[in-house]
Formats: sequence, structure tokens, C-alpha cells
Amino acid sequence: SGVRIQYERIGSDVTMQCGTLGSDASITWKVNGSDVDTSVLEGPNLILRNVTLSYNGLYSCFEDSSGDLQDQISLRIGSPPREPVVTCRSNTYPKGFYCTWYLPFPTYIPNDFELTALQNTKEIECQRDAVHKNKCHLKFYQMFSSLKYKVTVTAKNALGKSSATITFDEFSIVKPDPPEKVTAKPIPDNPRRLEVAWQTPSSWPEPDTFPLKFFLRYRPLILDKWQHVELSDTNSHTITDACTGKEYIIQVAAKDNDIGTWSDWSVPIHATPWMEELKPPTNENQPPLITTTTSSSSVPPQSPSYQVSATTRNSATTIP
Amino acid sequence: NLTDPTAKVSIQKTYDLTKYLEHQLSTLASTYLNYLGPPFNDPDFSPPRVNGTTQIPSATVDFELWRGLNDRLRLVENYRAYSVLLRYLELMTQDLSCPELRRHFNHFCTSLQGLIVSIASVMTSLGYPPPAHPLRVRGVPGVSGGGAWALAGTASSAPSTFLKKMDDFWLLKELQIWLWRSAKDFNRLKKRSLPQTA
Repeated sequence: SGVRIQYERIGSDVTMQCGTLGSDASITWKVNGSDVDTSVLEGPNLILRNVTLSYNGLYSCFEDSSGDLQDQISLRIGSPPREPVVTCRSNTYPKGFYCTWYLPFPTYIPNDFELTALQNTKEIECQRDAVHKNKCHLKFYQMFSSLKYKVTVTAKNALGKSSATITFDEFSIVKPDPPEKVTAKPIPDNPRRLEVAWQTPSSWPEPDTFPLKFFLRYRPLILDKWQHVELSDTNSHTITDACTGKEYIIQVAAKDNDIGTWSDWSVPIHATPWMEELKPPTNENQPPLITTTTSSSSVPPQSPSYQVSATTRNSATTIP
Repeated sequence: NLTDPTAKVSIQKTYDLTKYLEHQLSTLASTYLNYLGPPFNDPDFSPPRVNGTTQIPSATVDFELWRGLNDRLRLVENYRAYSVLLRYLELMTQDLSCPELRRHFNHFCTSLQGLIVSIASVMTSLGYPPPAHPLRVRGVPGVSGGGAWALAGTASSAPSTFLKKMDDFWLLKELQIWLWRSAKDFNRLKKRSLPQTA
């Protein structure tokens, strides 16, 4: 007969029985093909104390008289699942939302998950994600609902089960994906300007009906302090207070105009404002350029003009 | 028409007032729910809807239905909802024993009245007939008998304090959600009032 699996908890004492043989049978045990230390035998049973993951393996027992293989056990040491961590989010409002979950502690053995979602008393189907096994998708059947959603995830394995429940309002889980295709271009003859543009996240299904507002942050690579500007009804912005000649790092975040929370920041991009080209001397009598080397520390920091946040129609605020 | 300057200004004002009220209400509602104490100020609190609240206009709507509303119907639904919600809020405010809270809610009721007037002016600027006032004070359906905000002289039995608090909880929640919905409604009107870019 085939190999049977035996699951046991980490730290427990385990008794391995050799099929249905009686207590008087004379048995030999092997683990992963090697003989077992006879001190752990109790009659035909194999006794393993305070097991750890290292006890995992294929255990085989043979009847001494015939040498026949009597039983094969795949021993799997693990733990019952602890309470899963569940998160739900709508990045496709108002079409729907998705929930993801994970176990905060490994169990070392296979787990199954079950998700149930209720709005008031009505159960909502959760469509398993084709790629991510710990993710499923649900529809908003109605909008502007005052009834909370209740999502419960139950984790189960051979050693036990555990569940977690979250309740939330429709609006509290609205969080778009970051803006896409962020670009930043220097503007010729404008050493302190950068033209930044981006696209609404393609996952956001109704940008006209549910417009997004954006948060742009930028800073010279050599500095830590960001400058921010919040923008509505636009997918571009001209930075007008860039430090001349300094490379900038730029990111954008998005949020529904009225509800939910800010997206993550977009992938950072880099750009340097336009700079006057240093033209080489055209004729011989031009005195040679005297080059002096100065260590950067002696160079006074750029005038703090870049510290002044951009004064645009939109107020510049700092995200706590 | 929507692109008429007065209509555009009126719509923008109504949108801005909606956003202002939304912000005011979220502060005021959490203050009041903290005043009521547990379980009302528990973020996961989701009590059943009892009799008194079934008459509160719910903002809940099917998405396609909502998207398909024409401008007039969209405005009429807002106007009607706030007219009823204001009435309930006024009755709730009268019952408040805390003078400070009563003062804040009275101020909020005045602002909410302003929103109703603002919606009516948008309708007028768009050439729609002014909406008939949906409810007469005495004729508020469902408010009498058991309703938490029973009109004087019509309540058969005064609701328990806990039931009244639950009704207040649902009133404030529905009002909050209406303000979110209105922000989307007026934003939609705003977008439609922009000249179509070629």
C-alpha cells in the first residue's frame, strides 16, 4: 500500500505505529533508508520525543521474520494556523474590491483558506484570483451603502484551524493604484523648471465619474526633504522652483476626490532641469580656463530658494 | 444649459458646500458618537436598522442606475433627500441635552439648509422647475409612532434611550454617505458643465 502522511505538532511526542501489527511483532524501522536508533523503540512502536522539523522524513517498518515492508509513513512536523491577517481594498471603485490574507507565522504544512463575505445578511461571492492563491475579488452590487461589509477568512490544516474577521465601510477601503507613466522633462531656457506628467492608473475604471486628485512630491537627489503639491483636475504640473543643475527624484500618488485613502507612491523617476551649455572657447587668444578644485563641503549649499514650496493654485502640504 | 456661466458657478458652489458639510459632519458626528459612548463610538459598530430609521432616505443605489440618472433627476434626488434628512436632524437636535452639541448641530442644520437652497438654485439656473417640497413637517411618513424623532403629539410610545441613540447613529451615517454621494453627483455635473474639449 502507498505511503500514508502523518502530521504532528512541533514539540509534541509522537508514536509511530507499524501498520496493524500486534505488540509482540518483531520490527525493524528505517527513516529515509537509514536504521533507527533502537533506544526509541517500544515494542513495534517508534517513540519520538519533542519533535522538531528535522524529524520530517519517510519512515518504513519491516517485519524481522519475513523482512517484508509493513508500512511507510511520511512524517510531517508543523503547527496549526494562527489567526490570518486579512486586508480588503478597492482599487477599482466602484466596480469592486479584493481581499488578501496571509498567515503571520509559518505552519510548515499545507493550509487551506476559506473566505466568506457578508453585507448585512447578504452573502457576497468571492472570485478566487487566477494567479495569487491568497486573494479573491468581490463586486460592489450597490454603491453609497451605509451597511458595513464583514469578511471572514478561515485557515485550516491537518493540525487545526483559525479565523479572522474584519468589518469595514465601502468608502474606507477605496485606495487607487499609483499613477502610471510618470514623466518629467526639462524645459529649454528654463533652468528652474521641470514639466511632470502622469496617467491615471489604468485599473481605475471610472475616472470621469470618480475623478482622482494627485499628490506630487519632489526633491533634489542630494537632499532628504521632500516638497509636495496637491493637484486636482489635472494630469500634469510644472515645477517652477527646481534647483538649477540638480538631479531631481519625483513621485506621484493618487486618491479619490472624496473618499478613501492615498495610493502608494509611483515608481520614482529622475530628471534634471535644463542647463546652459558651457561653450568651449572659439579662438586662441581666449585665456585658458583656470580650473580649481574645491571640495564640495566648502561649496556653500545652494541658496535655500528651493526650500520655498511651490506656490500654485493648490496648497502645498506635507504628508505626516 | 450646463455650460451657462451662472449654472457653472452655482454647481461649483454647491460642490464646495457639500465638501465643507462633509468635513464638518465627520467631526461633529464623531464628537456626538463619543458623547454617546460605547458601543456607538466603536468603529465596527453596525446595529440593526430598527423602525425609526427605515424612513431615512438611503443613498444606496445600483451603480448603473446612478450613472444613468439625468441631471434633473440627479438634482431632485439630492434635494428630496436633504429636505427629509434636515427635518430629522432638526428633530434630533431639539432632543439633545448637551447645549454645546445642540449649538453645533443647529449651526450644521443651518448650513444644510443652505445646501438645499443651493441645489434649488442649480436647478433654477439649469431651467428645471423648482422641486416641490417633498414633505410637510407634520406629514413625515413613518416618523410618527415608534419613530425616534416622533413629532410632538403623534408618538404613541416614547422610544428607549438606546433605540433613540441607534436612530441618531443611522441618521448621521446616512447623512454622511449622502454627502459623499452628492460630492460625486455635483462633480459629475461639474464635469458636464465644462466645454467639451475638441
